[in-house]
Amino acid sequence: MTALVEVSGLEKSFGDRSVLRGVDLTVDSGTATVLLGPSGSGKTTVLRSLNVLETPERGLVRIGDARLDFASLPRDRRERARSIAALRACSGMVFQAHNLFPHMTVLGNLIEGPVQVQGLPREEAVAQARVLLEQVGLAGREDAYPAQLSGGQQQRVGIARALALKPQVLLLDEPTSALDPELVGEVLAVIRDLAAEGWTLVIVTHEVRFARDVADQVLFLDGGVIAERGGAEVLADPREERTKQFLARVLEAR
Amino acid sequence: MRRLLLLLLLLVGAILALPAIVPAASAADASRPVVRVGTEGTYPPFSYIDPKSGDVTGFDIEVARAVAAKAGWDLKIVRGTFDSLFPALDAGRIDMIANQITINPEREAHYLFSTPYTYSHGVIVTAADTDDITTLADLKGRTTAQSQTSNWTQVAKDAGAKIQYVDQFSQTAALLAQGRVDATVNDNIAVLDYLATSGSTKIKIAGDAGDEVNKQALVFPQADAALRAQADQALAALKADGTLARISQKYFKSDVTVPNAGQVHVKGSDVGRSTAQVVRDAAWPMLRGTLKGTIPLTIVSFVVGLLIALVAALARISSSRWVRAPARVYISIIRGTPLLVQLFIVFYGLPELGVDLPSFPAACLALSLNVGGYAAEIIRASILAVPRGQFEAATTIGMGYGQTMRRIVLPQAARIAVPPLSNTLLSLIKDTSLASVVLETEMFREAQVAASLSTRYMALYCLAALYYWIICYVVSLGQSALEKRVGRYAV
Repeated sequence: MTALVEVSGLEKSFGDRSVLRGVDLTVDSGTATVLLGPSGSGKTTVLRSLNVLETPERGLVRIGDARLDFASLPRDRRERARSIAALRACSGMVFQAHNLFPHMTVLGNLIEGPVQVQGLPREEAVAQARVLLEQVGLAGREDAYPAQLSGGQQQRVGIARALALKPQVLLLDEPTSALDPELVGEVLAVIRDLAAEGWTLVIVTHEVRFARDVADQVLFLDGGVIAERGGAEVLADPREERTKQFLARVLEAR
Repeated sequence: MRRLLLLLLLLVGAILALPAIVPAASAADASRPVVRVGTEGTYPPFSYIDPKSGDVTGFDIEVARAVAAKAGWDLKIVRGTFDSLFPALDAGRIDMIANQITINPEREAHYLFSTPYTYSHGVIVTAADTDDITTLADLKGRTTAQSQTSNWTQVAKDAGAKIQYVDQFSQTAALLAQGRVDATVNDNIAVLDYLATSGSTKIKIAGDAGDEVNKQALVFPQADAALRAQADQALAALKADGTLARISQKYFKSDVTVPNAGQVHVKGSDVGRSTAQVVRDAAWPMLRGTLKGTIPLTIVSFVVGLLIALVAALARISSSRWVRAPARVYISIIRGTPLLVQLFIVFYGLPELGVDLPSFPAACLALSLNVGGYAAEIIRASILAVPRGQFEAATTIGMGYGQTMRRIVLPQAARIAVPPLSNTLLSLIKDTSLASVVLETEMFREAQVAASLSTRYMALYCLAALYYWIICYVVSLGQSALEKRVGRYAV
């Protein structure tokens, strides 16, 4: 079985600071992958490269049938935009700061992409949005504006918005880092459910215990390369010294 | 985005097309050529607005009407400030001037004069309690108030006086009475009329400005000898049949249309109205100026200006240098030059390049460009104030640039932009008063017209202030409502 997501040779620098120095990874369909690592290790950059919010200088990204070779992007602007859009359409993104559209209601946020981008009829998009809201435990809050919701509710709407486009893989960038501690649980619960339902997830997180629960694959990044990879057991019994130190620090902070 | 650009093009096109439509409608009668005569309307008793009828009248206007009747012209009166009359003639916006224009060599080098229809002499006017100025020689080193392009200015300059430029004689009289200037040189008849009308005892005629007799005549562009010839023919006939003498007797109880008329008696163009009456009489023309000038100018200029601003703001934050540069230059020019200069360039400068806009479209164009420059920076700053994450979120749900702007960024930027844009609108409302320099008679010009005749400055300018305040108050109510509407999502 071929992997759903395939990344190879990813290199990226900001100015003369090299952030990614050859990252390779694969993600199988229906699995949850957790990216761990100290800040500045490049884990968020890897995630953002998957939907081209960052543009690496070199490397290959493939999701499903869409692939992009960053070393030889199409010269023609339209062509380039088209191939980037094709890759983006394969993934949905959940941001650390949720980035909901504040001027739209919850329902408006959920149907914006399906109606405006995918051209879905409004009624269909609304019906589908209601199902998603139910799924993230926010049925009945359709007409609320984001500012009227708690942080945890906002992030759950953010997840529902990403799912509304029916992506092949859901990317989550530290989905609970900006939340008050007592609100973290409700968001993690939703993500756990998604994993159980068989969504393909790539998650950047510091929640080691949560990672242990949901991860099918753990990738530990350090200094722009993947320092260690394996199943969830890596978290309990790391081999690499760097991984050990990092886990010790993170768990100590709890 | 593309739709927006199209809308903008349509609007600009409509403004440019206006002049093509308007004259076509009025020039229907080919046998009677339309002759546009420029005049101040604020220089009694020669050219002023009759407070009863609201029509332009006065000695010069009656002469011009008589000439037109004789010559078979369809006379159209165009009002503007004195200093805008010659530029308007140069730019082909009017065909002649009837405003007591004195013949002098400088003007003769550039313009054609008809045979004179007024003989007058200059007088020196001072405050009543000034006793050390009686001759031109006494003006050396003193400050006089004069109209920029008036021949009396040259007389004062030649006498060694410092010049303070003003717009109308009635303003000069006020400056003299307030002691802000020492003297002024002007036509004896105009001064006598002012004294008779205002009943002022604060200023006096202190002496003659030399013994030279001045001749006033109609003015034509150098190229229009045929029109001048028609006017001369008509003037000769009017002199022969006694019409000119009759008009002069009506205003001055003597014939100023021949040299050495003897004592001039001026009854005053506007005597015996109470201040309340003056304000009542001016209220309607000023309201009309508001409805036909101030408000339409504001609305058209603001709408067009916002569209220009939006395009300029988007260009300014474009990733392409070639798109950014022109927007930057445009904004810099608009913000770095006075609106007055922009109005003059559009109205008096562009005709030299073949772009000949009537007053209203010209004023709208200049004001729109001005608003566009200022509002562009407001809109740009508002767009940049929308968090980066909003662009990213729009990108990840698959939106392109146009969709992101239209659906996500601009609605949020609008909320940020409403208060500063309201300020721009309030400024614009008040800036429309400058449109009078391009011969557009808006509300404040009507106030000046009424003030020039009645000399009731305080009452009339307070009324003008009240009118502006009412408009601005209504706008600020609208602002609050709009702020609520665009900000309804914020808790």
